[in-house]
Amino acid sequence: MSGSVILETRGLSKTFGGLVALDKVDLSAETGKITAIIGPNGAGKTTLFNLVTGVYPVSSGEIYFQGRLLNKVPAHKRASLGVVRTFQHVHLFTHMTVLEHVMSGRHPRSSYGFLEAAFRLPKARREEEAISLDAIKYLNLVGLGAYAEQDALSLPLGQQKLLAIARALATEPQLIMLDEPGAGLNTLEKRQLSDLIRSIREMGITVILVEHDMPLVMGIAEWIVVLDSGAKIAEGTASQVQKDPRVIAAYLGEEAE
Amino acid sequence: MMSAGLKSKWAYLAVAALLAFLILVPFDWFLGRYTTLMIFIGIYAIVTVGLCLLMGYTGQVSLGQAAFFGIGAYMSAILSKTYGVNPWLAMFIAAVMTGAFAYIIGYPIFRLRGNYLAMATLGLGLIVWVLFRELSHFTGGPDGMAGIPYLSLGGFVFDSAFRRYFLVWFFCMAVLLISQNIVRSRTGRALRAIHGSEAASESIGINVAQFKVKILVLSAVYASIAGSLFVHHLRFVSPQPFDFLASVKLVVMAVIGGLASVWGAIFGAGATRILSDEILLRFGQWDIIIYGLILMLVMIFMPEGLFVKLKEVFNRLRLRYRQKGAES
Repeated sequence: MSGSVILETRGLSKTFGGLVALDKVDLSAETGKITAIIGPNGAGKTTLFNLVTGVYPVSSGEIYFQGRLLNKVPAHKRASLGVVRTFQHVHLFTHMTVLEHVMSGRHPRSSYGFLEAAFRLPKARREEEAISLDAIKYLNLVGLGAYAEQDALSLPLGQQKLLAIARALATEPQLIMLDEPGAGLNTLEKRQLSDLIRSIREMGITVILVEHDMPLVMGIAEWIVVLDSGAKIAEGTASQVQKDPRVIAAYLGEEAE
Repeated sequence: MMSAGLKSKWAYLAVAALLAFLILVPFDWFLGRYTTLMIFIGIYAIVTVGLCLLMGYTGQVSLGQAAFFGIGAYMSAILSKTYGVNPWLAMFIAAVMTGAFAYIIGYPIFRLRGNYLAMATLGLGLIVWVLFRELSHFTGGPDGMAGIPYLSLGGFVFDSAFRRYFLVWFFCMAVLLISQNIVRSRTGRALRAIHGSEAASESIGINVAQFKVKILVLSAVYASIAGSLFVHHLRFVSPQPFDFLASVKLVVMAVIGGLASVWGAIFGAGATRILSDEILLRFGQWDIIIYGLILMLVMIFMPEGLFVKLKEVFNRLRLRYRQKGAES
């Protein structure tokens, strides 16, 4: 790999009681590239996401984002540093319109608080106008502009997933981590998703994704990291990884010795 | 959410009608004999709005809201009667202290979620209630304390129900307006986001723990102000209005009003007070069973609240009426 590294983990481990979910993983993602993390179920992919975004504390090892140690940074502060994620199970909010979802994504890029809100002070009105204008921009980017006033949960799954991405993009990240963005989507929606991921990369945002859909991964990922049982077993370009005997063994099983 | 246009026109009309109604209520030729009842409705609506923000919007249960109501009431009573502090200053100090108390307990209590949070707030309510009874040197114990002064502005003393009615509803409207502004802001979105998914909220930079504590503090300040108005109205305070049953009644008010509706709080407080002061008195001690039943029925059949349900029905009828008009 060449170029600058945006995210790096060193000896990153996570144990739940006696279970080792992630075992001394060294990983680095290059700035501006699309990196995919693949591996069979239980390989530790989502655990890795949860550690990087601060959902769980790290058991041992370090996470560096743009050279800065993330380990002790609270989850909610990582968004303003430029790390954002989406979830396997979408995690949209109840009783909130499509537009409001994206507006909530502007949270770390706006600052007015309780007092300004309570009395609708000029700062609140000014920021609120900017928030809604920006939100519309991100909504159009994922092609959901026409649904702005709808309740978000009334959208079909494919559009819900796009909305979750728009919400994440609205935080103006440098790194976006997508957890199984393709799961549950049909072929057409998957093609739209690939296009969207490419255009996110064009915006200069680094993408890391966890995905089970191999054609999708092989089509867009410039670097692939393979995890199995919590450990990194291979990495490389799509063609390198596909030929790796350890990867084939992990996916298809090994012959009994 | 309300979209612009027709719907908001109806919302303005409804608010204007409500205001006109509220201004006319205390006059003898209208509903003057219900002035006292309406004062209580206004006071309880203030507490209920806070509970709506906390439970309905942010999704954090409080079964001990009467504790904050009571602390505000007792602090106002003790400061103004025992120590001769100006009642307005006493009210202000009470609100600040109750807010500070909520802030201090907020961080530990919000380490808990769901049922555990409900149990912890229930415990809080019980402890505070016991303190009201047992710290009798300050509080007068179970007998309470009487002779609390009226509020006054310059020479204008709020010594009649008619005057206090306007005072209470002024506060109630101010609280509603402030709450409505908060709901429709960056803060309000953050609160609703926390209700929907704490993980997703954190992921987009919302400080979940801090917002929960802040909204608890705000709801406690509301409850404290209501408590102060309560004792300066009655001129008497005792532990009974702040017991566990009071906390349950507050939850019933919030639920009937529709947890996620600021204006519903008036409706919830109104319906519940009318029920308890005018109807349930006949049932004596059995009234708690009726409250339980109402709570169950509302939660099963209209979890969005009676007020929100009525609003929906009204909107549907209006649409049907308009369609009929268009056909003919």
